[in-house]
Amino acid sequence: MSELDGMDDMSCDEFAEVAAELALGVLTGRERARALAHLDGCESCREQVRELSMAGDELLALLPPAEPPAGFESRVLDRLGLTAPGQQPSDAAIQQGSDVSGQQSLDVRVLTDERANRRADRQNRPPNRPVDRPPAGRPRSGLSRVSRRLLAAAAVAVALIGGGVGWGLRDATAPSSSSSQAAALSTAAFVTSDHRTVGQVFVYNHSPWWTYMSVNMEGVGNVTVICQLEDADGHFKNVGQFQLDDGYGSWGSSPYTAGPGAIMGARLLSSNGTVLATATF
Amino acid sequence: MAMMATPAERLPDETLLAGLGAGDAELSVAFVRRFQGLVFGVALNVLRDRNVAEDVAQQAFERAWKHAQMFDGRQGTVRGWLTRITHNLAIDVLRGRSSAPMDPDDLALLITSMADSPERIAVANDSAAGLRRELRRLPPEQARAVAMAGIYGMTARQVAEAEGVPVGTAKTRIRYGLQKLRAALLPEDADDE
Repeated sequence: MSELDGMDDMSCDEFAEVAAELALGVLTGRERARALAHLDGCESCREQVRELSMAGDELLALLPPAEPPAGFESRVLDRLGLTAPGQQPSDAAIQQGSDVSGQQSLDVRVLTDERANRRADRQNRPPNRPVDRPPAGRPRSGLSRVSRRLLAAAAVAVALIGGGVGWGLRDATAPSSSSSQAAALSTAAFVTSDHRTVGQVFVYNHSPWWTYMSVNMEGVGNVTVICQLEDADGHFKNVGQFQLDDGYGSWGSSPYTAGPGAIMGARLLSSNGTVLATATF
Repeated sequence: MAMMATPAERLPDETLLAGLGAGDAELSVAFVRRFQGLVFGVALNVLRDRNVAEDVAQQAFERAWKHAQMFDGRQGTVRGWLTRITHNLAIDVLRGRSSAPMDPDDLALLITSMADSPERIAVANDSAAGLRRELRRLPPEQARAVAMAGIYGMTARQVAEAEGVPVGTAKTRIRYGLQKLRAALLPEDADDE
């Protein structure tokens, strides 16, 4: 079934000896594989690793901050294709001038070409490119039940404080109406048959249509999963497949010029057709 | 466009992150300003090279922008999430470099600064204060082992080589050290399992 076939089982006592290394992400090779296999079936050891991972995170939080080099802020914004709004008070970045001087203030509802390109890059990220991974044993960000409405909730929050500042994974060619853009983006959680939330799927329902999903199914190992979307008629259509690395992976489709119509749901299948998880919009 | 009723600088971390993900210029600026010291600090402490640290810090903000919609406030704070992103990137870079052996004095200084930084103590929450206290109490060899593994991403074998001890000893130091830090974060009546 996996690379672990033939390996002897790790006991809880053995696991305890390597739990700290696993939690800190420094356990390697066969030891790591055996530890992960043990975690798959041992709730108490998962909790142990979760707590140790938290300790590791708290340790990082003690690292002293440092003043970045002059111009850092403007270089970051430039990298994102953004520039500080004109009404912002001058700061170190703006005083540096070289990165932002001569650029007109942006209407934040308009994407620059560079941002559009980066957005396209974001939508076209290669299969199996992992999102930043918290330590083993700790639930990864972005996989909660409540996060299916994260974007919409944030949109409300931003709109309330920002007087209508747009929100959403907007596309450069989409209409400038913030509300229509926000409404075009749907998100739902992938849930297994035993009601575990194991991922999230986003679908953008305006042209160019695209989808993006992130999956965390610890214990399934390195497998290929197939993604299907459900149309209004209840038909499922394959839209792509991607590789899970140690149960974790993310994938985004290429933008389409013509969308598939209303999307009612999505599901993930193993290569043999077994339904691993479903999502309902 | 209507003016904001609340200055971006006063908005919660989560809102700034949402704005960053949406590409909102004003909220993005506020996000970068709020967290640039944290992000650059993590990168610099791991990499000990300001130029490389800046590149990693920029990558961290880019990654936060790309994955802002994946943040889940129930799983932790924006600060913790961004710290983890930056640390992962820094470790990846560190592992790809044939950097000079770690200076033991640098490591000792770092541990001391993490345990004693007075300005951080002044604003510390209880868990950070408890962790800092426990870090001061740790046997130095355990503190070094945990720092080498937890901050520099060194394996037990690498820790053993750096310290001149058997691998088993290095593993034990990492284990005991982290367990003690973990215990410092747990409620007092939950220390024992």
